[in-house]
Amino acid sequence: MKQSENNPPRVVLGFFRWYCNPALLEEIEGDLTERFHYYSERYRQNKAKWLFTKEVLLLFRPTIIGNIYHLTNNSSIMTVQNKRLMLILAAVPTILLIPLIAMQFSNGVDWKILDFVIMGILLLGTGLLCELVLRKVKSTKGRIILCGAVLFSFLLIWAELAVGIFGTPFAGH
Amino acid sequence: MSQYHLGEFEEIVLLTVAILNGEAYGVSIISEIEDRLQRKVSLGAMQTVLKRLEEKDLVKSEFGEATNVRGGKRKRLYEITASGRQILSRTKAQRNSLWDAIPKVVFKFSEK
Repeated sequence: MKQSENNPPRVVLGFFRWYCNPALLEEIEGDLTERFHYYSERYRQNKAKWLFTKEVLLLFRPTIIGNIYHLTNNSSIMTVQNKRLMLILAAVPTILLIPLIAMQFSNGVDWKILDFVIMGILLLGTGLLCELVLRKVKSTKGRIILCGAVLFSFLLIWAELAVGIFGTPFAGH
Repeated sequence: MSQYHLGEFEEIVLLTVAILNGEAYGVSIISEIEDRLQRKVSLGAMQTVLKRLEEKDLVKSEFGEATNVRGGKRKRLYEITASGRQILSRTKAQRNSLWDAIPKVVFKFSEK
């Protein structure tokens, strides 16, 4: 087996290293790596990688992240804009965790993989559009109007996909 | 000392830390729980509870050795404290008193 095949997915591990409280990083990364090797021995590589990814997503919680200051203080030259962008990127998986966790406790929430993908794209798109507005528009009034329009559009698209208020081909039921 | 009440999962983790007697760390606790209780546990849930128990001074921890299978990262070994032992004993006594208070007839009927 090639060495690279027997290692945890680098992107996922990088995401974990980014959000994890530095004080907890060594012990939890060690635990994650050990769990990955355990999964690799029991399952096929793809399943082991998926289980590793699931563990990393389930670790994304306040106790493990700690003070969010470390998320945005990786570089002394990081601007306010970049800090805000990092927070937007961190907020998307955090929000997606809500239905993921709710599904474990209730049958009322039943999201498929596609639902998570679509909601992720919607949230990321909304966040990035708001960030674009905040970077390009300087007046407070303009910012409020444009960001409000972006958020309103997000809510309309979400409502259409969820319950179908306009009856488009993408309408949900 | 304030009166702590253990949640169900906190109690299981604390008991497992006691069972492992100095060899308890994230992965070994999960394996022990999965083996003994046939219950799936995520690393996230485990770490959250361990940190909470440590904040309550029910367990203490220190770094152990690093191994290749852990990518050279050290383990954090947990050990139960005197307060932890005390609260486990109290919880056990409370459970026992509840069990003892159940009229015998309740289980006689439920077996039929």
